[in-house]
Amino acid sequence: MMRALAIGGFLTALLLFAAVEWAARREGSRIPSLAEVCAFVMRYEVGPVPVGRIGLFGFWWWLGWHFLAR
Amino acid sequence: MDHPRELTVEAPRAWDRPIVSVPVLVCLSLVGGQLPSFSAQANLYTLGTGGALIWIGLSNRVPRRAAPRRLPRGAVWWLLPVTVFGVFEGVTFVLAVGDEFPTFSRLADPLLEDHLVRSAAWFGWLSAFWGLARR
Repeated sequence: MMRALAIGGFLTALLLFAAVEWAARREGSRIPSLAEVCAFVMRYEVGPVPVGRIGLFGFWWWLGWHFLAR
Repeated sequence: MDHPRELTVEAPRAWDRPIVSVPVLVCLSLVGGQLPSFSAQANLYTLGTGGALIWIGLSNRVPRRAAPRRLPRGAVWWLLPVTVFGVFEGVTFVLAVGDEFPTFSRLADPLLEDHLVRSAAWFGWLSAFWGLARR
């Protein structure tokens, strides 16, 4: 029962990701795509340090290591 | 004759075209998909490929696409899937009752044992990384 709840919850989240991305790609949509959100986050800098860029790269690197190396 | 910098467009480099980058990513993914979990090779390969892409992404070696200066209000819709995922991941992680109420990674582990699925996951990870490096 609890396992089915977890699976259902994660599937719902994944479907929501796909639905929002689909809505973002429609003509004239006011929702930015996930790539645009990432690009905006990556613009963030503190002085000369591209903090947003380093943070997103680091997060994605960790995610790959977590799922593909462990 | 000199042209203003903002009017010039750099020609895409040969290795920056999909006809080159996609087969390279496929080859890297097929290799990664063969490496078993918790092995030194898998750790080194992940750190090596990820490190190379971070180096490319931080060193201005590839042309970047323009980033939006502001996000429209519709961006808040992204909080919906992020919140749902975050709540389930957080609760399953904190309760830590294993397969009874598994985290996302615990659910993904058996799927990633298959070499083909693992290679597909590698391709998704590397493609997204390549996309980030060019943003």
